[in-house]
Amino acid sequence: MAALSGTELGGGAPAPGRRRRFRFGLGPAMCTMVLVVMLVVVLYPMILLLYSTFLVDQPDGSARLGLDYWIHSWGEAGMGLSIYNTFKRVVFTEAVAVPAAILLAWLVTRTDLPGKKLVDSFCWIAFFLPALPVLMGWILLFDPEYGLANQAYTALTGADRGPFDIYTFAGMVFAHLAARSVAAKYIFLAPAFRNLDSAMEEASRIAGSGPLMTLRRISLPILMPAFLIMLCISLLHSLESFEIELILGPPTGFYVFSTKIYQVINEDPPLFGVATVLAMAVLISLLPLIFYQQRVSASRSFVTVTSHFSANLLRLRKLRLPVFAVVFLFGLAITAVPVAFLLMGTFMNLFGFFAVPEPWTLEHWHSVLSDPPLIDATVNTMIMGGSAALFGVMWYSLVAYISARTRYPGRGIIDFLSWLPASLPGIILGLALLWTFLNVPVFRPLYGTIVVLVVALVLNSISTGVQLLKGNMVQLGAELEEASYVTGGSWLYTFRRVVLPLMAPALVSVGLLTFASAVRQVSAIAMLVTGDTRPLSMLQVDNMVDGSFEAAAVIGTLIVILTLAVAGLARFIAARMGFSGVTSGAAG
Amino acid sequence: MRQEAQPREATISTDQTAEAFLALEGITKCFGSFKAVDNLSLQIRHGEVFALLGPSGCGKSTTLRQIAGLDQPDAGVIRLRDTILVSTADDIFVPPQRRNMGMVFQSYAIWPHLSVFEIIAYPLRVRRWAEAEIDAAVREIIAQVGLTGMEERSSQTLSGGQQQRVALARALVYRPDVLLLDEPFSNLDVKLREQMRVELKLLQREVGVTVILVTHDQVEALSLSDRVAVMREGRVEQVGTPAELYEEPASPFVRDFIGQTTCLRGRLTGEAAGGGFTVQLGQGAGALVCGHSRLNGQAPDAAVLACVRPERVRVTPAEGALGANEVAGTVKALLYHGDRYECWLTLGGEEVMIYTPREPWLHEGGAVHLHFPAEALSLWPR
Repeated sequence: MAALSGTELGGGAPAPGRRRRFRFGLGPAMCTMVLVVMLVVVLYPMILLLYSTFLVDQPDGSARLGLDYWIHSWGEAGMGLSIYNTFKRVVFTEAVAVPAAILLAWLVTRTDLPGKKLVDSFCWIAFFLPALPVLMGWILLFDPEYGLANQAYTALTGADRGPFDIYTFAGMVFAHLAARSVAAKYIFLAPAFRNLDSAMEEASRIAGSGPLMTLRRISLPILMPAFLIMLCISLLHSLESFEIELILGPPTGFYVFSTKIYQVINEDPPLFGVATVLAMAVLISLLPLIFYQQRVSASRSFVTVTSHFSANLLRLRKLRLPVFAVVFLFGLAITAVPVAFLLMGTFMNLFGFFAVPEPWTLEHWHSVLSDPPLIDATVNTMIMGGSAALFGVMWYSLVAYISARTRYPGRGIIDFLSWLPASLPGIILGLALLWTFLNVPVFRPLYGTIVVLVVALVLNSISTGVQLLKGNMVQLGAELEEASYVTGGSWLYTFRRVVLPLMAPALVSVGLLTFASAVRQVSAIAMLVTGDTRPLSMLQVDNMVDGSFEAAAVIGTLIVILTLAVAGLARFIAARMGFSGVTSGAAG
Repeated sequence: MRQEAQPREATISTDQTAEAFLALEGITKCFGSFKAVDNLSLQIRHGEVFALLGPSGCGKSTTLRQIAGLDQPDAGVIRLRDTILVSTADDIFVPPQRRNMGMVFQSYAIWPHLSVFEIIAYPLRVRRWAEAEIDAAVREIIAQVGLTGMEERSSQTLSGGQQQRVALARALVYRPDVLLLDEPFSNLDVKLREQMRVELKLLQREVGVTVILVTHDQVEALSLSDRVAVMREGRVEQVGTPAELYEEPASPFVRDFIGQTTCLRGRLTGEAAGGGFTVQLGQGAGALVCGHSRLNGQAPDAAVLACVRPERVRVTPAEGALGANEVAGTVKALLYHGDRYECWLTLGGEEVMIYTPREPWLHEGGAVHLHFPAEALSLWPR
């Protein structure tokens, strides 16, 4: 096309607008840097861990490749049994929890049950309550000797022993059900139930099918993807469980794979070969589940959101109050009951002994609060949680930005790597990081510092954090940002005056959630903690394992207060995620 | 009257002689294997309103985003006056913030955390204007777009029309070289859309800025623009004034995309004595003289379409003999439009649609005579 007039670029003098290929968004170099870091912290440790299972230590200190660990590890006591125990515990828990959660979600969203907001709050509180303090509360109630339930029973019947024992398989399943097991599923299912347009059911009713037929042919098939993904996530989360088994299992010799790994790593010398083989065996058996979840989550076909739907509520009639009573009691059981006993435990001279001259005391609070290890642990928790929140938010927003806003070719891999840690059992993630920090010379100086813990915690929350921020960015739309570029704003100016103010509520709430999950975290950091870096959560584990229930209760209470307050703040900010908080004053 | 069967190159060459204010040369943009824009060239003159018109997916928005600098073309050159904005061959890409263009986005992109005043002041703060100048400039533009008194309103309380005015004010306040409008009226209801159209036209005359408008609505393009480029599958199908496009479409696509067209099938029988061509309609419906031809050569007995804008056809009661260029037909359906009828007729074996004034004698099933003015008829290959 010879359409140009004579102003063709000369070879020498650059035109006034001449620039090197200048990007106004994030450059590919930055994106590649993010990709490389993600590969190093997520994939590399896993590959290293897999590789280590084939690396056999020789007596002379060298190593050779071989299948020895894969063959001989299974001779180690309790290896196979721990995998069997894991699945047995999961199947028993989920068999109760899944139907219970579906029923609860259905009751709250599709019937005229009273007090729905209350039930919702119970579930959110239970979701954020850390497992260990809750377990502590239940132990105080159902301990075979001191447990209050057993004491009440012996006092009433004159029997020698009460019938309850939480240190059993049934006790373990109960502890799971009474923790977040049901609540988490409810939180996932309720929106799907709520968004189901009644018109779909009504169309079926008008076409001539009864309520049951409608449920079977219309409602269930529509909700099936939501059920499947919920089941998948629940199984993954249930399988990785660690804390409850760590406390309740060993007294009766019951080990699941995660506590088994922890046990063999803590032997002297640590049995790394056995631990890594067990971790890899479990991981490989989880792969189908992990990839299925990835596929379903990516397709996002499980939400049937319609903007104008009507929810025609089923009338419970005479059952309304009895059903409410049951749901209300359940809500109390997963929140107030364990917390009440936990609190009570902190004020008793010797837990469970009411007959002593002075049963109540503030002594535990005094001694624990002036205890140097506790102060160190509190400081550690604060530094650890604060750094995880700070660096986490910075990192998650970079990853989310690349995934939502750029056309970087490697963003699919970054997406996958940011999503993967959520599916990896925390103990395996921790083991992989431990192995990396001990065996890669560049990283070795960091072992024993808080950096290791922060890396583990940032990874542990990365999937949720990135998802939340990405959703927020997608919702905001690219045009808000582009409008700034076109009117003359540079990337930095745009980021400061448009992106940051709009993202601020999301960033703050993701930071708080990361902090809350760091404070309660046990499994991902259990193997990375050293004496100097021990946070509150690990201090509580140690006290519970030692049987110092009073001290454990005090620490547990502190953790509950920290997590609930911070998570509550996060929920509050997220709920007000309108833009009212940010005013035009940002101009300076 | 202009020469019939005008070659398409002629229109374009007249464009090229004019001083090009903004020039696109050989722009190509692919998304994966999909060619969104395919070797596209345009010359836009200073101070004109230029529309990119086409169905969705024709590449018009992509073209606009490349002018703005929000997308980089895979190949091509974009220049504004004598400044090169983009040249893939020379590895030049001026980022959007240095192009001094204004843009109104389809969603308006009104920042929800700022007040009306702050949104409009934003481009001036970027440019580090003094506070007093900012204040004066913002108040002037706010008056021009009719938002006086709303300066301190939160942008979240604005209606669709107000949001558009804010977006317009933000795009104009720094006197950009070019104003880019991406489907600016598509989010407004019909009444408001008509009002905003007039306001925009008046504002553009007042400010004198060069405007590039992207739209899929032909009424919007025809009524607002000095010139229109009709786009299809990443290419420019025709560039011309609204009247040229309507009266002399260069291709069947442009003919059918802009306005309504009624086509009758027939066979070319020869040249008429007084100029034009005679066509024998199918099934003995009659013969017509067509004033224009878009045929490449006139093979005798070639299958052709005689096309006419439906409002150019005149309907009379079927009384007496047929006159010149008249055909007999039967009314099948009359659709009341308020100011006129949409009238469906059978004519020989064919069904055709025309617009007629609301004649009281028209009724469904009635026999009528249809007059096709020769100068309104053009021949197209079939």
